[in-house]
Formats: sequence, C-alpha cells, structure tokens
Amino acid sequence: MSLTPSAGAQHVVSALMRESLMDRGVLARTESAVRHILPHLNVVQIGGLSIMDRGHEAVMPLLDEIVANQAEHTQVIGVGPGVRSRHILSVGLDLGLPTGALATLSAKSSAQNAYMVSCLLASKGFVYLEAPFIVQLLPAMLAAARGAVFNGIPPYDLWEHPPALGKLPPHGSDAGSYLVGEVFGARNVILIKDVDGVYTADPKTHPDATFIPDIKAADLMAMRLETLPVEPVVLELLTRSKLVKSIRIINGLVPGNLTKALAGENVGTIVRS
Amino acid sequence: MSNAVTNSMLTELGKRLVSGSLSDEALMRATGDTPNFAILPWANVVKIGGQSIMDRGRAALMPVVDEIVANLPKHKMILGTGAGTRARHIYSLAIDLGLPVGVLTVLGTAVAWQNAQMLQYLLARHGIAFLEPEGFPMLTHYLMERGAVICQGMPPYKLWEQNPDIGRIPPQRTDTGCFLIAEAYGARKMIYVKDEDGLFTADPKKDKNATFIPRISVQELLEKDLNDLVVERAVLEMMVNARQIHEIQFVNGLKPGQLTAALNGEPVGTVIYNAAANRGQVI
Repeated sequence: MSLTPSAGAQHVVSALMRESLMDRGVLARTESAVRHILPHLNVVQIGGLSIMDRGHEAVMPLLDEIVANQAEHTQVIGVGPGVRSRHILSVGLDLGLPTGALATLSAKSSAQNAYMVSCLLASKGFVYLEAPFIVQLLPAMLAAARGAVFNGIPPYDLWEHPPALGKLPPHGSDAGSYLVGEVFGARNVILIKDVDGVYTADPKTHPDATFIPDIKAADLMAMRLETLPVEPVVLELLTRSKLVKSIRIINGLVPGNLTKALAGENVGTIVRS
Repeated sequence: MSNAVTNSMLTELGKRLVSGSLSDEALMRATGDTPNFAILPWANVVKIGGQSIMDRGRAALMPVVDEIVANLPKHKMILGTGAGTRARHIYSLAIDLGLPVGVLTVLGTAVAWQNAQMLQYLLARHGIAFLEPEGFPMLTHYLMERGAVICQGMPPYKLWEQNPDIGRIPPQRTDTGCFLIAEAYGARKMIYVKDEDGLFTADPKKDKNATFIPRISVQELLEKDLNDLVVERAVLEMMVNARQIHEIQFVNGLKPGQLTAALNGEPVGTVIYNAAANRGQVI
C-alpha cells in the first residue's frame, strides 16, 4: 500500500483513486465477474399472508417438506410478515408516519413469524439469524447447523426508499429473500405463496385468467398486473441481477411443490431476469 | 386463519390494506393520500464528505469542526460522514476478488464508520455522541441535550444492498444514507459539505470549461443526464419520490462560513429542489 498526497487530500493508491464514483465511465470500468459465495444455498421464502397467517394446517405440512429435503438441500428460510404488518401499516399511515418508520415497524411482524418458524424447526437444527448474524455467521452456521431462518424483510429500517407510488415500504420479504439469494450467489430463490404462480388476473374472481408458467421480469412489469403474487420491486431487482437469474413462485398449499422446485423441476411460475 | 383482522376500528384504507395486493396501483396510490408527520422538523442533517473533507485531514476538517461547534447553540445537527479514499481502495480490491455488491457495502460501511469515529473524537469534548443505526431511537435525546449527534453516512443495507445499473459499486452510499435520514425524520435541511462550490456542468477538477449551477430542479438535472454528478444518482431518484425533503444544498467546506450560511437558510452553494413536490399534507 502506498499513500500519495494530492491537492491537500491523502489518497490510498487504487484504481478508483481520485475518481468520482458518480461518473458513468468510471462505474462502467468496474464491470466484471462476481463470485458465488454460497453456490449450494437455496433461499426459501414462506409468505406471511399466504402461508403463516393460515396457521397449523398450512404451515406444518410445509415445514415437514422442508425437513424432508434437509439432507439433500441446504435451505435458508426467509419469512414474511402477514396481516399484523398490514395492521400496523394501516395505523401508521393514519398517524402520518413516514415510509422509513413504517418499514421499521413492519419488519418486527416478520421477525415474529421467522422466530416462530425457527422454534418449530429447532429440533431439526435450524437456527434463527438476525441481519447482523446473517452478515457474520451464515456460512459458519450452515457448516455447523442444519439450516437457518431469517427475517424476510431487509434491514432497511428508517433508510427504506420512498416509493414512486404511495407511501408503503417497497422492499418487503420477497425483496429481502431475493437479495439474500443474490448476494450469496444462491442456487435457487423460491417464493412460497398460496397460488400456483402468476396469472393474468386473480383466478378466484376471474375464471378466464390464464396461467403464466415462464416469463421475463421486464415483460411481467410491463403487464402491470393488479394481483401480482410477488412484490413488484423484485421484478425490478431481477432486471439488474448478476448471479440469481430467476425466481420461482410456487403454491405452498400443494404438497410436493417445494420438493419439485428444490429438485429443479418445472412447477409454479419462473420469472427470469 | 388467513386475514384474521375484521376489527371495525380499522380505517377504510386499513380495511382495503389488510387483504389487498401490494401490486394494486389504486390501493398504493390511496396509501399516498395520507398526511406526513415530521418526526424531527427542527433537525438539520449535515453530511461531511469523505474524500472531499475527511481525507484532507486537519487543514480541511478542523475549520469545519469549529464551524459545527459555533453553530451548536443555534442549530440541531445530525452529522453524517462519507467514506472516501479507503473505500475506493477496498472497492477496487473487492471487485478484483469477485465479491458482490452487498459485501462491498459491508466493507464501505466500515470506512464511513471510521470517519464518524474520528469526527466523534474531535467533538467529544463538546459532549457529542456517535450513534449507530441501532441507537437511533436515542437520537432525539442527544440532539436536544447537546445540539448534535454523529452517525456514519452509509444506509444500514449491509448484504441487502442492490446491484447498480452500471458496474459493481454500491449505488446507495453515504449521500443517500444521509438523505434518507432527513426524509424519514422530516428534517429542516439536508446540507452536503464537500470541496466544491456546488454543482457544475462537468467535474471542475478535470474540466476547466465547467460552469457553476446555483439552483436547479431535480427534474431538470435528471433530464440533463450528466455523465458525472456532485451527488449520488440515487439521491436524485429518491428526491423525486420524497414526501418531506423538497430541497438539498451543497456547500464548500473549504470556505469558512458556507455551512453556517446554509444552516441560516441562505442560498449559498447549489440548491437542488423538487419542482413537483406536493405529496401529502403536513401534520
């Protein structure tokens, strides 16, 4: 390492020294291959409203299926918030709280769900990891433990982005689970919901709705569907992905779907970058 | 059972929200038709540049520190720090090693943290504390008791940082982190202290023909699509969506008095404002 004094500032010599990190030319020169840190990882996200809020009858068969796949597949389980989050968002909006405050509050609802899942999987060796422990310990935990459970909502808290439309925090548990998959270069990101995947409209109210088994994120964004079973921001993130080039949305109320998705079989909807 | 909230205590919006889809544009728009409560309307967020101020050491930093101290009786300040040249070094190294953007954010955060800790050593005798994001519920206490508090400027995204449009550098760094603190708290001002008089048509360090821009709307600036900027592009993109912060100001920390003038509401340096700011009534 060497230091070089220049124009009053002391610089550490590097390819980016004295460069503006807002300069598009400088940024373009940083483009290069990214390493998969944990290429065997499968990120499995359990929906809040769609699965957790249904209680025993929906949650337990799914957890049994996770356990049945434990020997074959390394799984980290993200968990979504569900109806308690919707409730506190409603109260918070009524009080005029900003998006960052709403994000901080909502994240506790998914933390509760994640903690419950970790208790239910504790006897199988799954550990609950808060964000700082994901940063420091996930690889070690996966080497020692049999799996991990985390809060699906990313730790954006007060620093949540103001959304283009309305006031709700745009990065929920789907986004957080996707980002965990992307940063570790995971093998799979699987989002577990209570519908078979993406339809052109809500199949419960529109019998003529057609199923979309395979679609590019940009094309799905352009359709502006009213009842997308995934957070819209995930589609945007997918268009900029470097490692995780697709996500799969499956119905967790149908036994066997998760097993198929982990095995790489065609089930649910696959959304590609 | 699913959607087990039937409580009539919910607002009409709340009833729609409890079971509604987050991709329903009409519902999302309705969430915007709610008031804005400013949590700390008297707080000023002041970002001290990393490469532009901190890396220059005593010659640049001590006059800024003196100016902060002089303003303590008059203005409440949340002081965020940038990262700078050590971040550039570790970004270069980490990119060379093939590490992803989230890891670069973890690494860059450590540099902004070092700068925040250094600034706190310099301000400690005035009773100024350094708070990490986890300590933010205490922030108002320190602001009211001591007039200022220090934080590191990076948003706490850690491994959850998103890929940029171009290249491998984290797109949301200390300019963005400080902006989002100001937006969440509904702060009085967002002031960036750097080593230029403000915004120019090109990098004045490299292009002698660059001309100064004293005031410009964020919409016009985005439309110009400049190749280089005085501020992270993410700040401009978020400003368009922000509900509480309608302008940000850039001052030259190498010129004594500019920070004070900006705190006093004078149009020094460059102001970038939102020409379309009209999102929600303030309560």
